[in-house]
Amino acid sequence: MTETIVEMRHITKRFPGIIANDDINLSIGKGEIFALLGENGAGKSTLMSMLFGLYEPDEGEFLVRGQPVRIDSPNQAVALDIGMVHQHFQLVSNFTVTENIIMGVETVKRRLGIFPAVDLKNSENKVAALSEQYGLEVDPRAVIDDLQISERQRVEILKMLYRNAEILIFDEPTAVLTPQEIQFLLQIIRNLRDNGKTVILITHKLDEIKQVADRCAILNRGRLIAVRDVRTTSTQEMARLMVGHDIAFTLAKKPAQFGEEILRVDKLTVENEEKYEALRQVSFSVHRGEIYALAGVAGNGQVELADAICGLLQAKSGRVYFRQTDITQESVRTRNLRGLSYIPEDRQSVGLILDFSLQDNLVMKRYYQPGFRKGLWINREHWQSYAKRLSQAYDIRSANGIQTIVRSMSGGNQQKVIIAREIDQDSDLQIYVQPTRGLDIGAITSIREKLIQERDHGKAILLISLELDEIMACADTIGVLYHGSLQTEAPAGQLDLETVGAYMMGAKHE
Amino acid sequence: MNTMIIDGLSYALPLLIIACGGIFSERSGVTNLALEGFLGFGAFTGGLFVALTSSWFANGSTVPMYLAFLFAMLGGGVYALLFALLCIKFRANQVIAGVVINILSVALTGFLTSQINSSVFGEASNKFQLGVSPRWTIPGVSQIPVLGAIFTKFYPFEILIVVLVIFLNYLLYKTRFGMHLRAAGDNPHAVDTAGISVVRVRFAAVVIAGMLAGLGGMCYAYSISTNFSPSIYFGAGYLAIAAMIFGNWKLMPTLAACLIFGLARSGAYQLVGYLKLSSNFTNLAMAIPYALTLLLLIFFSKSNRAPRALGEIYDKAKR
Repeated sequence: MTETIVEMRHITKRFPGIIANDDINLSIGKGEIFALLGENGAGKSTLMSMLFGLYEPDEGEFLVRGQPVRIDSPNQAVALDIGMVHQHFQLVSNFTVTENIIMGVETVKRRLGIFPAVDLKNSENKVAALSEQYGLEVDPRAVIDDLQISERQRVEILKMLYRNAEILIFDEPTAVLTPQEIQFLLQIIRNLRDNGKTVILITHKLDEIKQVADRCAILNRGRLIAVRDVRTTSTQEMARLMVGHDIAFTLAKKPAQFGEEILRVDKLTVENEEKYEALRQVSFSVHRGEIYALAGVAGNGQVELADAICGLLQAKSGRVYFRQTDITQESVRTRNLRGLSYIPEDRQSVGLILDFSLQDNLVMKRYYQPGFRKGLWINREHWQSYAKRLSQAYDIRSANGIQTIVRSMSGGNQQKVIIAREIDQDSDLQIYVQPTRGLDIGAITSIREKLIQERDHGKAILLISLELDEIMACADTIGVLYHGSLQTEAPAGQLDLETVGAYMMGAKHE
Repeated sequence: MNTMIIDGLSYALPLLIIACGGIFSERSGVTNLALEGFLGFGAFTGGLFVALTSSWFANGSTVPMYLAFLFAMLGGGVYALLFALLCIKFRANQVIAGVVINILSVALTGFLTSQINSSVFGEASNKFQLGVSPRWTIPGVSQIPVLGAIFTKFYPFEILIVVLVIFLNYLLYKTRFGMHLRAAGDNPHAVDTAGISVVRVRFAAVVIAGMLAGLGGMCYAYSISTNFSPSIYFGAGYLAIAAMIFGNWKLMPTLAACLIFGLARSGAYQLVGYLKLSSNFTNLAMAIPYALTLLLLIFFSKSNRAPRALGEIYDKAKR
């Protein structure tokens, strides 16, 4: 290894009830791509947030270029040439790229010799030169609102470079990107290294680490498990270290046995809230024992499709059939009673009432049914026993049992609450939108297994996901949505990852 | 026609400067319903200054008027500090704080005016007498048909406002401060990440709003009534908010909205006179700008885009 640029000595950080980082010792070399690998809650982000000055460690110290430093604010970090691209971009939406980049470090020129004004023109040239140097392909004059997510991310990278950052931290940078965009980003990261920058990559995606990183540190429950040279370590080895035990990479899955047609969508067109046709003339059908997976980049009509099938949005034209019955005009409750379950994308605002208890969230779809009420009154005893049974069956963990307020539960357990409630309806049609988003590998595997189990019980499953891995792992049939229309549809075996990716970008047409 | 333009401008320009205050506050992310209270308090401060110092100046001197504008801005700014403290420092709900500030302003200035009149001057009155503002006409250009009216019988404060608005345009769009202010109204977290204090930017923005509204209030006190009295609270602050919204929180379109309001009002007066209607109809005519507000709101509210972080209480910890 060449000279060390960042060294961590005995870094420990405690939050109430949890040790986020426990005595971490690491050194990162100048000019390398260093990956931090771990599941959600392993402490990767906390560790990097401390290096960036968002938190201060309870114990231990950081050394930058051999000097002990106290980093108590992001400004301090920037002064030490450390930059960070967060998961949520910090951009002003109605400003241009350049205005965003220079904010806080503007150069000023004098108008008429007196009036100080921000020197945009020079800054634009400087931004353009940086963009050129690192192959970022960003227009300095574009307004943020008009840019795609991947372009906004590159603006964040430019922001760091403009401030002469030498150490660049990326927090889960590929979570929001398509396969093609991911490749582009990884190339940029290589360019950064080749220009002498040090890159720290926080991720839980093994294949990306394998592609770009030089070394990787593996964290589990706040502890540093190992530091490995990526070239000489297999992905299986890394995964085992990350989870703490062996995990199966492919899901065990029997061949599908298609039964009768449960859902048929016929030339469905749906307008979103802005009166824009988010979904255009989409037709497909889902059968018993089939997992029909819809791939697509976020915002290509997936949410509108799911909402229209469930009755949350009115169709503009076209029909939705459930077991050959036209349900297009039916209310949400009528559809539910026919046998339709929905695991929505936004679990916190659509799927749950966060300030209600676990018990109340579990009975949300049944409270009015016989057994759940005594005349006009709530049947408390039955609610309790029902909630207890479901919590046990679906392994929902909470601090205060069924009376726990859902807001205080972890993301994985919140998702389990919705899945328990919806699957327990015993519905013929189950719609899952992004069911594993933000969950760690353990929870992801268990939810995917559940999905396949339901399929094997003869349910029809519609899976909408932005994660291509998930689509490839679960699907029997794959459809791809782009700009609100179905680009292609084929049995899962006939499409590979790259082809689906190309359809998702609209690069291919039937 | 000439009268309509002359009166329209003298009504529209103070409205514009009040609306500019609203723009500064709201573009920084602070919902500002308190303009009415700011302008009243500013006019009160200016009026108080004139009343207290009336013996220092020669009769008919215009110096007290110019100083009154200065004091009105100071008074409005200081009063706005209270609003800023409530909303930014103590994170009160901005709508409620704004309404409270308005009600408090009416009560406080009314009370203080009567008290000061009785204790200092020994007379029972709820007014401060101001001098009469001069009105200027530029010879030559004022003879041009129609457009000449712009240069006829205008108040000195109209020039002041035009110069000030040009300066504000520069401040908001060209300077670092203006950039930070506009950014704070869209994504305060981005401002924070750039190492700039959101709290400080918003405080400054609200104080500027108070100063501008205070100046606008003083202008009305000189042009409409030549005294400071509770009748200063005739709704200009709310009309300014409407103008700002039609103007999409931008200076030039807001100028257009203010001109429409001003001309509608003076035009309505002319109409009442022209049709020889009784004076009762004057009251009805005065309602025209407000009716127009309602009508325009229906058409404009859809295409408008408010600052994204407007009304959002900034919390550093939330990301």
